[in-house]
Amino acid sequence: MKGNSIVELAEVTKIYEGKVMHRALNRLDFEVEEGEFVAVMGPSGSGKTTLLNLISTIALPTYGRLMINGIEPEALKQNDLALFRRRNLGFVFQDINLLHMLTVEENLVLPLTLDGIPVPEMERRIAELAARLDLSDILNRRPDELSGGQAQRTAIGRALIHKPKIILADEPTGNLDSKSAKDVLELLSHINRTERKTVVMVTHDPIAASYCDRVLFIKDGEFFNEIYKDERRQTFFQRILNVLSLLGGNVNDLSSVRLP
Amino acid sequence: MTFRQFAYRNVVRNRRVYAAFFMASVFSVMVFFLYSMLLFHPSIEDRFVREIAIMGMGAAEIILYIFTVFFLFYSMRAFLQARSKEFGILLHLGMAKGQLNRLIFIETMIIGVASIVAGTILGYMFSKFFFMIIREIVLLPALPLYFSWEPFALTIGAFLSLFIIISYVAPVFIRTGEVADLIQEVPSSGSKGAYGYSKTRGYLGLLFLGMSYAMAASTTNSVVIGLIFFLPPLATVGTFYFFTDSLPLLLHQIRNRKRLYWHHFWLLSISEGVVRLRENARMFFIVTMVSTIAFMSVGILASLTSFASQYREMSPLGLVYKSKPENELERQHIAQIVKELNSERLDYSLIRFNVLEQTSTFTENTVAILKLSNINLLAHSFGYPAVNLREGEAVFLPPSVSSYDQLKDRIVTTLLEESDVEVSIDGAYPHQLFSSYSIAANAIILNDTDYDKVFESGVTDKLEPFSYYAFNVPDWQMTKEIGLSIDNNVTESFLSGDTNQLPYSFENPGLRYSVIRTTFSLLLFIGLLLAAVFFLAAGSFIYFRLYTSLDRDRKQFDVLRRMGITDREFKKIVNRQLIPQFFFPWGVAFVHSSFAFLSLQVFWDALAEISIVRELVIVLAGFTLMQIFYFYLIRWRYLAHIRASG
Repeated sequence: MKGNSIVELAEVTKIYEGKVMHRALNRLDFEVEEGEFVAVMGPSGSGKTTLLNLISTIALPTYGRLMINGIEPEALKQNDLALFRRRNLGFVFQDINLLHMLTVEENLVLPLTLDGIPVPEMERRIAELAARLDLSDILNRRPDELSGGQAQRTAIGRALIHKPKIILADEPTGNLDSKSAKDVLELLSHINRTERKTVVMVTHDPIAASYCDRVLFIKDGEFFNEIYKDERRQTFFQRILNVLSLLGGNVNDLSSVRLP
Repeated sequence: MTFRQFAYRNVVRNRRVYAAFFMASVFSVMVFFLYSMLLFHPSIEDRFVREIAIMGMGAAEIILYIFTVFFLFYSMRAFLQARSKEFGILLHLGMAKGQLNRLIFIETMIIGVASIVAGTILGYMFSKFFFMIIREIVLLPALPLYFSWEPFALTIGAFLSLFIIISYVAPVFIRTGEVADLIQEVPSSGSKGAYGYSKTRGYLGLLFLGMSYAMAASTTNSVVIGLIFFLPPLATVGTFYFFTDSLPLLLHQIRNRKRLYWHHFWLLSISEGVVRLRENARMFFIVTMVSTIAFMSVGILASLTSFASQYREMSPLGLVYKSKPENELERQHIAQIVKELNSERLDYSLIRFNVLEQTSTFTENTVAILKLSNINLLAHSFGYPAVNLREGEAVFLPPSVSSYDQLKDRIVTTLLEESDVEVSIDGAYPHQLFSSYSIAANAIILNDTDYDKVFESGVTDKLEPFSYYAFNVPDWQMTKEIGLSIDNNVTESFLSGDTNQLPYSFENPGLRYSVIRTTFSLLLFIGLLLAAVFFLAAGSFIYFRLYTSLDRDRKQFDVLRRMGITDREFKKIVNRQLIPQFFFPWGVAFVHSSFAFLSLQVFWDALAEISIVRELVIVLAGFTLMQIFYFYLIRWRYLAHIRASG
């Protein structure tokens, strides 16, 4: 099904040069349709996070062509790239990464302040988001006074407030208990369905992946498999597990801890 | 790899982190050493300069030492906490607690010994230069470089003991520091510590500062002495509360104004500012107080240049020698002074006055009487025109400049009781020839004929005529070597308490002026050096704090980068975080010292006319340049660390 692809990777290769050269992605072709909810799965070190960083435009491909929302990040200057991210992308992280010195409300509003949006407009958007994400009671709390689920909901709110085209999520349920994880996933899929926002999610968790329209599997930086959802989430989940077992080995390893 | 090698490599490979700390330690050792070099200098014979040097340098050394203690404690704590993860790994690998303590001890001692050695060597290298500056200020003939064990022993002893103590105590911070410390982002520490402030103390701080400013601005002569004891403590407490509570309070107010707060980078800058402020409030307080003192000493020194002209007005004569009739040394002393003046090749004119005393029937007080021809001679040496008086006429000799206005229109007819001479006093002598009150509070000038009549009437017991030798020396600042032995006699008799015992007195305004000037210059110089150490330490401390929170900041940077912050915007945010930390204490110090000068104006009436602006600007510019350099250096390092997030 060829719709408008909002993300398009053609033979993308990413090589990290350093003391040890490392080929993180190798000639990967990948497309995301507008309004799609895609999961990227693969064992540790398979290049999932690199893929997400490329789509985030904070890393550029070594070879190959990458188009996001009709533009090529390589062609943009650093500044324009930053502005592009600011207006088109929203991020949700595994370790949530709320700014600790800001309250929930301030964390939500942060992306807007950078763009100099008038205060009444910001307040309107906060009120709307807070109602939708059930954050109204905790707007004045600080991140260290939140539960994991509340914190991640805040982070999702922060990713949504500037109305981005694409939401990128890196293990959004990694640090959450199962109840909060379910809430977060339902929230993401709800947003995807009702607002037609494109969501790209990197995950280890087959349950999380089963909420998506499509799952991309990569291994050692290369395309491995791709499956589409069917009528029932249960069977989709089962098929994901099947592919994972084919992938072999250590899918359920702890995700690699990313040290700074 | 032995244990010692391990410790050594830890230090050497962490040198980037230790650099700022090391630099500040070296500098502080160096300044301490320079002070001690002067303290023990064998060729400062001038007793007075020696006293100032010992007092000033001694005090400076004590302050420096205490400051270094605090600095090292704070730094060590911050630093060990930053490495707690590393220590955790070591403990995890099975290192005994005792071994860990030994590791920290060895590491600290390596840095300590290195900074002592470097500081002492640098200090010795710079001591010739230091002596040259001191010599310029103190106007001593020469201060040769010398080698003696004392300054070395003092410096090494002081700092070595300090580092040993710190090394022993430091491991404590690893365990207890974590809980007690407000800086470290430990989630369990809660938000109270990091964001809490007391509203009462916040308002109190503002109130105290406001009160001090208001009082300083509206001082009058009658209360100024009381305020000197009252205002500094008030302002100090006010400043402390200002940084710990008032500023957070104000920032909190801003946070409630969304139009202001939710504007571009303000959101990030202000919220980050609150945290940084909380961490560094005490440091800011110390820096503010030190800078205030530094600014004030510069200002006072600068006002001394105008003090010189006022001083000249108050003591127009180069040298004054007063002698009572029973003084046997009179001739000898005058001969000595004249000889010394000649050997120094100084021009002078000497006029001898026989000052008589009479009782005035008009006021029933004694009045000193001077001879018109003598006055005219002295006036001639100053280039003033002569004054004419007829027989029976007289004029007041105003004791000070300000009293001339009161006396110039007064007309009094009086009878001089003892000699039965009647005079009518009409107005006052217009020029200031003598130091204020050096003749008498109440003096008149008589026509020569009348003066002779009084003179011939003889002397009664009650009244004390005296001889007054007025030396008018145009190069009055050069006379400080003249009559030193006489001056010492006078000072000694004054110090031993029996005033009026000596039958003579001696005034040397040039000497006194040079003493005052020297004192202030020396204090200023000591203060500036101290201030430099403090600034450097404060800067390195800020760097430390930045380093401690580096992990957290990196994560933030990562979030912001994904959120879409351009490089320039990021720099702007960092600037807005760093600039207040570096420059805000200065602003406060500047306001403080401005108000202090306002109140000092009462002392120095003419302060308004003085151009202390120039001197202040030079010193300010110097420190600002240093600070800007340091700011860029630290920002550069910080940005590099943050971006190396990978």
